[in-house]
Amino acid sequence: MLDKIELAEKNFKNEVVTVKSLESLEELRIKFLGRKGIFTELFEEFKQLPSDEKPKYGQVLNKAKSSAQKVFDELKGKLEKSESEKKVYIDLTLDGREVELGSKHILTQTLDEIKQIFKGLGFSIYEGPELESDHNNFEMLNFPADHPARDMQDTFFVNDNFLLRTHTSPVQVRLMENKQPPIRALMPGKVYRNEAISAKSYCLFHQVEGLYVDEDVTFAELKGTLVVFLKQFFGEDVKYRFRPSFFPFTEPSAEVDVWWQPKGKEGRWLEILGCGMVDPNVLENVKIDNEKYVGYAFGMGVERIAMLKYGVGDIRVFFDNDKRFLKQF
Amino acid sequence: MKLSLNWLKQYINLDGISTDEVVEKLTTAGLEVDDVIDQKKLYNNFVVGYVKEREDHPNADKLSKCKVEVGGEEFPIVCGAPNVKAGQKIILAKVGAVIPNSDFTISKAKIRGEESMGMICSERELGISDNHEGIMVLDENIESGTEFCELFGFNDVIIDIDITPNRADAFSHVGSARDLAAMFGRNLNLPEIKLSETDEDVKTIASIEIENAIDCPRYVAKVIKNVTIKESPKWLKDRLLAIGLRPINNVVDVTNFILYEIGQPLHAFDLDKLAGNKIIVRSADKDEKFITLDSKERKLLETDLLICDAEKAVAIAGVMGGENSEVTNETKNILIESAYFRPSSVRKTSKKLGLQTDASIRFERGCDVNITLFAAKRAAQLIAELGDGEITKGEIDIYPNEIAKKEVSLRVSRVKKILGFEVAIEKIKEIFIGLEFEIVSELEEVLTYSIPTFRHDIEREIDLIEEIARVYGYDNIPEIARIGVSVERRVDNSRFNDKVRETLSSLGFYEIITNSLLNKELASKYGNPIGVLNPQSFEMSHIRPSLVPGLLATISRNVKVNEKNLKLYEIGHVITKFNDEIKDFSDFEETEHLLFAITGLANDDEWHSKKRESDFYDLKGFANSFFKSVTDYSKVKVKYNQTLEDGIFEYSISNIIGKNIFAEGGKIRAEVLKEFGISQNVFAFDINLTELKKNEVELPIFKELLKFPKIKKDCAFVLDSNIDYNAVVKIIISSSTNLLKNVKLFDIFESESLGVNKKSLAFELSYFDDKRTLTEEEVEKEFWKAIESVKTKLNAELRG
Repeated sequence: MLDKIELAEKNFKNEVVTVKSLESLEELRIKFLGRKGIFTELFEEFKQLPSDEKPKYGQVLNKAKSSAQKVFDELKGKLEKSESEKKVYIDLTLDGREVELGSKHILTQTLDEIKQIFKGLGFSIYEGPELESDHNNFEMLNFPADHPARDMQDTFFVNDNFLLRTHTSPVQVRLMENKQPPIRALMPGKVYRNEAISAKSYCLFHQVEGLYVDEDVTFAELKGTLVVFLKQFFGEDVKYRFRPSFFPFTEPSAEVDVWWQPKGKEGRWLEILGCGMVDPNVLENVKIDNEKYVGYAFGMGVERIAMLKYGVGDIRVFFDNDKRFLKQF
Repeated sequence: MKLSLNWLKQYINLDGISTDEVVEKLTTAGLEVDDVIDQKKLYNNFVVGYVKEREDHPNADKLSKCKVEVGGEEFPIVCGAPNVKAGQKIILAKVGAVIPNSDFTISKAKIRGEESMGMICSERELGISDNHEGIMVLDENIESGTEFCELFGFNDVIIDIDITPNRADAFSHVGSARDLAAMFGRNLNLPEIKLSETDEDVKTIASIEIENAIDCPRYVAKVIKNVTIKESPKWLKDRLLAIGLRPINNVVDVTNFILYEIGQPLHAFDLDKLAGNKIIVRSADKDEKFITLDSKERKLLETDLLICDAEKAVAIAGVMGGENSEVTNETKNILIESAYFRPSSVRKTSKKLGLQTDASIRFERGCDVNITLFAAKRAAQLIAELGDGEITKGEIDIYPNEIAKKEVSLRVSRVKKILGFEVAIEKIKEIFIGLEFEIVSELEEVLTYSIPTFRHDIEREIDLIEEIARVYGYDNIPEIARIGVSVERRVDNSRFNDKVRETLSSLGFYEIITNSLLNKELASKYGNPIGVLNPQSFEMSHIRPSLVPGLLATISRNVKVNEKNLKLYEIGHVITKFNDEIKDFSDFEETEHLLFAITGLANDDEWHSKKRESDFYDLKGFANSFFKSVTDYSKVKVKYNQTLEDGIFEYSISNIIGKNIFAEGGKIRAEVLKEFGISQNVFAFDINLTELKKNEVELPIFKELLKFPKIKKDCAFVLDSNIDYNAVVKIIISSSTNLLKNVKLFDIFESESLGVNKKSLAFELSYFDDKRTLTEEEVEKEFWKAIESVKTKLNAELRG
């Protein structure tokens, strides 16, 4: 028995040195360590021995098998490693399988950024229709018929009573008619102005309007809120000014300019938003107690802000939708 | 409106205040400054020169070659004017000069081979008149080297301001000066009137009658006799030129001067042309015709107000005078009209006639009823002075119903409530004194003011509060940032669309935004569009009833610049009318749509894949991915439109929720694409978002993860090639129990070896139960039942 074990060990050692590949290693495993392998057969033989002889051979046999197993495992590990190193060579310089992502329009992205800031300040978001009544677009907002203020917004009329909204303010009207304060809302949407198309103006643009009506809303708070917006949007060091202006639906009214300093050119003030305290007449029109409640409102054009922020010089580019433009943002 | 700084200084002492400060104060007062033109800077490099030599240009008939001396320096100049001669004194624009009203900068040039270092200017090139017949020739005694602006007294600064419709009071130099006086705390100095009148009483010479006192509350007239019509003196011409007005003659110039001085429009009539020496203010007759100063015949309505003499109309009140009574060189006697017309009446007429004048724009915003007499006297004085005329005694002042000054009260506590900070009562009073508001009473912190008639915008307490904020200075108002926490549920109408955009953009689509106005013919092919009454052009006359034309136009433009492989989407409103007359919101429908489209290659040749054109299945795949992301897809039914008679699609599928078809997508007909010049295939999906939004899954509920194994079985059928995949699936499902959870087609094979017009479809069927492990036997039973059904119902054979 011992001879047989010794022979097996010797044969294993002789053969193992000839193994160069995983395939021949596997052959070796089957021959020596497999279900019908030499070592397995020796164990079968061992089982037949009378029990008093078992201790004598058991230890030797176990040792022989486990040392063979150990040699096998080491060699297998080594071969696998060199095999995988050989195979994993890939041309890392080839292009990957790229997937072209789309994007939101830059005007949408700009609007998203504005929305994000005001959502953080507690504003809800409401939308409304583009084909509006004269009543909602003008009359309720304190633009009487035959008033010069109507000239401020060149209007596309459908007839005497319907028009393409000139601002998102009719959404304010719809909202206030259906809800008592507190109201804190942001109202984005397309608006239309009957102006010739040029680098500076287009027949439509996107407006975002804000409205806050409650018992203790003030002009100072309006100013503070807009300054928070300006700093978040344009950066901490933005230079701005509030100056008196006129809108029929707010009183007092203001326009806000930011200082724009293009590189290598003369800086200038650029108007970016209009705002003011909701005119008491507007609150009365929507049946909100204008003694108890005070409100502020503000509005800005998304195109103008995007042009400023991204250095777009011609508003028409936004509506041409040239893919070479769309891809840039 | 253009303000001349020199002119402003006539009414307010601006010593010690820089131009920049004036500009800033105007802006902070609400009179936004658009532009500032310093004449000295404007005429930099324009100097007097001496034409030392002149000879014909060797290479051009009409050009001269000159040597011009400027203060000892000599410049070669090529000049095209016929009147240039040696020995003349002229104005030379040197290198670096910018020609007024243009972007043209003079630079060193070679003109037909001859060097030229400047330009000899005509009056038009200098911006001082329309004369361009030749160069301007100066008096020969003027020293060469003199600056042009020094010579002509151009030492003014012109400030262009924007007047908002509420601030009619600031629409003049005195009006703007009044605001500056309040802001700087200085005095306003009005011009003094000193009249020397003849003994002849004006009432014996002319008479005034107001028939319509509602539209004309006040009419003042003065008469000046024996006036010599001539050129205005330099000071007056300079004032007008500075603000861009063309001087005409001493009388017209005076009326223009006063309009820009105090904001009161005046009209000068040739008294001898007024029949009966009489003025009648009346409403026009229906269809009455009148020829205005610009030689145009105007058709009038009964709502228009006319100024007439005893026989005929002579002016449209507040808008424009007529040819028949205008002041000419032969005019001797003048009647000055200084009236107050009702703003809305003037506005209506001016709008209807499409005629806006310096006068009408002031009347419609509201002039000062109480300045009319002052203005008439000021005009009389100046006309008499400049035209050697005689002012007749007194004036005719018809003012039947006096317009009372408004009284407005202010609760001091309300100032803080609105503005959010305390303004001391003394400060409030000081502000109102500066604005010429007179205090009427002061009772328990309620101040009542009498408002001057030039301030039409002050009617209510809030208007007084605005004035406080304005004069106090918006920059001085504190900034209170209060981050409110609202307890109410937040609403976000745009959330669903945000998700739609995110889904499509992540599927590789670019968002586009197109014009919602289309031409009628095009728009009408896509629905029942509503037109606008006053379009910019016929190309943009109707509101889009569909997003399709905008998208196809975008594809067309992109293809032209060689961007042929496109995946685009747009979200926008579309409007369709139900009735021709829009009386109500129920006469039309405005819905929000999403349109997405693919065209060109799905992928190009790459080292790892072959190029492939986009097709219907790409579109359908994107649509399904989209629907699964934004809606409860289990509720979406599909209808197949194999052949379509009309519409934009050659074939399409429709999606239905409940009974509503909310989406349709397919291949766009070649004829439709041809209209946009597109020759490549376009596949598009049009979705009604307003409808889809109703099926939004607001709150997905978690489903337990499957704990039991799935059993998958494969089979392949050989069928007639005209049998749809979906027909097979339907039979498999209908012949199975709910243990069958999914049917997947994993191969389509067509070959002659299968037989003529035959195809093979290979399916993988998945079975599981979320409550137990299925046995092999029951699945086998299900599986074979399905196979048998397909075999018998579709005459199919099981393959392999």
